[in-house]
Amino acid sequence: MVQTPMTRERLFALREEVARLEGSSVAAARQEALAAESGHSRKAEDQRFPLGIAALDHALEGGLPLNGMSEIRSQAMRDATAATGFALALAALLQRKSEEDRSPVLWISDTVTSMETGIPYALGLADFGLKPERFLHAAPRGLEEALWLAETAVESGAFSVSILEVKGNPAHFGLTESRRLGLRAKAAGRPLLIVRQSGEEEASSAPFRFLVEPAPATSRFLPDRSMLGGSIGNPVFRLTLEKSRNPAPVSLLLEWNPHDRQFLPAREPEHARSARKLPAHSGPRLPAPANRPDRPQEVGPVLALDRAS
Amino acid sequence: MRLTALDEAAETIGLRKGQGVAEARAMYPKLDVIEEDLTADRRLLDGIADWCDRYTPLVALDGSDGLFLDITGSSHLFGGEQALLKDILLRLFQMGIDARGAISSAPGLSWAASRFGGGGVIAEEDMEHVLAPLPVASLRLEEQTVVALQKLGLKQIGDLILAPRAPLARRFGAKLLLRLDQALGRDEEPVSPRRPVASLSAERRLIDPIQAEEDILYLTGQIALSLKTSLEERGAGGRAFELMLFRVDGRVFRIAAGTSQPLRDPKRIAGLFSERLQAVHDDLDAGYGFEILRLNVMRYEAFDTPQEDFDGARQKDISLAGFVDRVSARLGADCLQSFQLCESHVPERAVATNPAIHALTPDRKPAAGVFPWSRSERPLRLFRRPELVEVSLAEVPEGPPQSFHWRRVTHRVSRSQGPERLAMEWWIDGADAQSRDYFRLEDDSGHRFWLYREGLYGQLPSPRWFMHGIFA
Repeated sequence: MVQTPMTRERLFALREEVARLEGSSVAAARQEALAAESGHSRKAEDQRFPLGIAALDHALEGGLPLNGMSEIRSQAMRDATAATGFALALAALLQRKSEEDRSPVLWISDTVTSMETGIPYALGLADFGLKPERFLHAAPRGLEEALWLAETAVESGAFSVSILEVKGNPAHFGLTESRRLGLRAKAAGRPLLIVRQSGEEEASSAPFRFLVEPAPATSRFLPDRSMLGGSIGNPVFRLTLEKSRNPAPVSLLLEWNPHDRQFLPAREPEHARSARKLPAHSGPRLPAPANRPDRPQEVGPVLALDRAS
Repeated sequence: MRLTALDEAAETIGLRKGQGVAEARAMYPKLDVIEEDLTADRRLLDGIADWCDRYTPLVALDGSDGLFLDITGSSHLFGGEQALLKDILLRLFQMGIDARGAISSAPGLSWAASRFGGGGVIAEEDMEHVLAPLPVASLRLEEQTVVALQKLGLKQIGDLILAPRAPLARRFGAKLLLRLDQALGRDEEPVSPRRPVASLSAERRLIDPIQAEEDILYLTGQIALSLKTSLEERGAGGRAFELMLFRVDGRVFRIAAGTSQPLRDPKRIAGLFSERLQAVHDDLDAGYGFEILRLNVMRYEAFDTPQEDFDGARQKDISLAGFVDRVSARLGADCLQSFQLCESHVPERAVATNPAIHALTPDRKPAAGVFPWSRSERPLRLFRRPELVEVSLAEVPEGPPQSFHWRRVTHRVSRSQGPERLAMEWWIDGADAQSRDYFRLEDDSGHRFWLYREGLYGQLPSPRWFMHGIFA
């Protein structure tokens, strides 16, 4: 294809614009290459925090974004603690990283989730690798207050990570609000984790969304490096990277070692059945209209998710 | 039903307090009788007391229809005692309140003079002279003492002053003489203010009332700036602030805000109230505007001037404190909590929550968590109240359950750890509290639970199982 200098220029400008909107490192890398070509280099704006698992870090393009929002989702309320655990494991990692500046972790809880699965427990946090004296728990009365809290916390820059727990897909926490939070996090250069308990996939401005499911824990090691049968050791999460720039979702088992505060890859357990309940029949589901016709089923690959609320 | 209060018109036509309503109606059929509402009266008196805060912070309630104002040291701000009294009475009159007042150096004398005498300002040397012709009822005595005194012919206070003291004390008790001495200023009578008195305060009186929130905040910043020097002189910073807004029509609003660190920076103080105004937005009715703004420092603490360093760690502390203050001002102090470890082995008592605003002081970081007792792993999330679980099958006497039914789902236990037996604290729960055996269980889909059995098998009452927490 023949490109005039004009069109080439415009194409670059558009690419740059898109990259700026998306904040992607791939685009930034390309941009850098182009910039190097034209004589000046630009530093990558993104800050990534590698999780120490090669496959995951590759899918995350270097690691968890430190200046932005990420979403962690659990499918049902009974998996809520798994999502909590993964979010807090990330918090412990980030806290370990910011050991010297001693900034605390903020957990903004959701009232209903607190009633259903309890509130974070300081001794349990200590066992999980976090420092309970550097943990603040906020109990706002409603979503509006929670969003304000998250925004203020990210803006203040006082927390190594702020975690906002949401139940389900509330109508007042849609794309607009998540975009606003994401922009605030990006502007402040602070990580923000959204923990969506028993929520559906929904369009959001977070570049990454994890689905966390519980998995059988590892066994405890005996001093001679053999496993103690029937014992419950480090927690294991079944992690699916649902949303990323990668077209194929990455799914893997992660073990969290609270003592060393690091993630380890875990093997697929033999004796456990999958937590994911598959439908008994694989055929198309019949709609069950109560008083209105069912939504027409989408055809083809999903490009954008509808609002779940 | 009896008449308890009368307006001017009713007084002039000859009705009396204590008269029956039926009798009064018979005399004047057109009489308009309103049922007495003591709480509304009380509210009105409280409102007037609030309003009187503009003259002095020491305002005390006196019964159901009076106020004591301790104007020591504040009368000169209003052009002397005479002018002050005139100003109070005139303003109250303009608000439609028929008030009488007296100023003297003894609360008892002011009480007597305003209720039974002519009121006004009573000089030190005229005290006895003014008090003498007043009836004995103006000494704040019980009804029966007054009646007994009148029977004896002691009708005026002058008679009491002249009478020998010892027989009076023998006959009527020490109270009578105490009241007499108080009225004469011979005995000290403290006036206890109805609200805690601010350690420091500054105010602005405005000729043109303000309504807009930005104006209020701007002025708050200005007032805070004038407080800054007094705080600096004391080497202190405020921990609790109160903003008083006097509305033109007499209503007074008080907005309190606390801080996690001693504070004297005017900008941050104004910022604190900006959050508070957001929170109380609906309750704050500006009406025709506010004419007086006063900023009180209710409590202050030593303020150590921080040394700025280069690495910015100090800045982090400030931003954290700022965040805690903002949240506490807007959503209440209980919204943001930090955990504090307590000396207890009972899981729910081992951790106490503490409002972050009190837990956060710059030099005293919360103590590092030391866990002196050996214990098994604790769950990540703990229920506020343990939930009852149905266990159909468990190893007897002290094994883990094989499966359990919780929230309408049956969980099959694949692995378990335990028991960890925790005896309850006999000094709190009593000697017969049942011990708990905690188990860590994993079901076959990978959920991990913390269950306990209260009581023992083979004993009465039969043991019950509870879900207490969930592991990650």
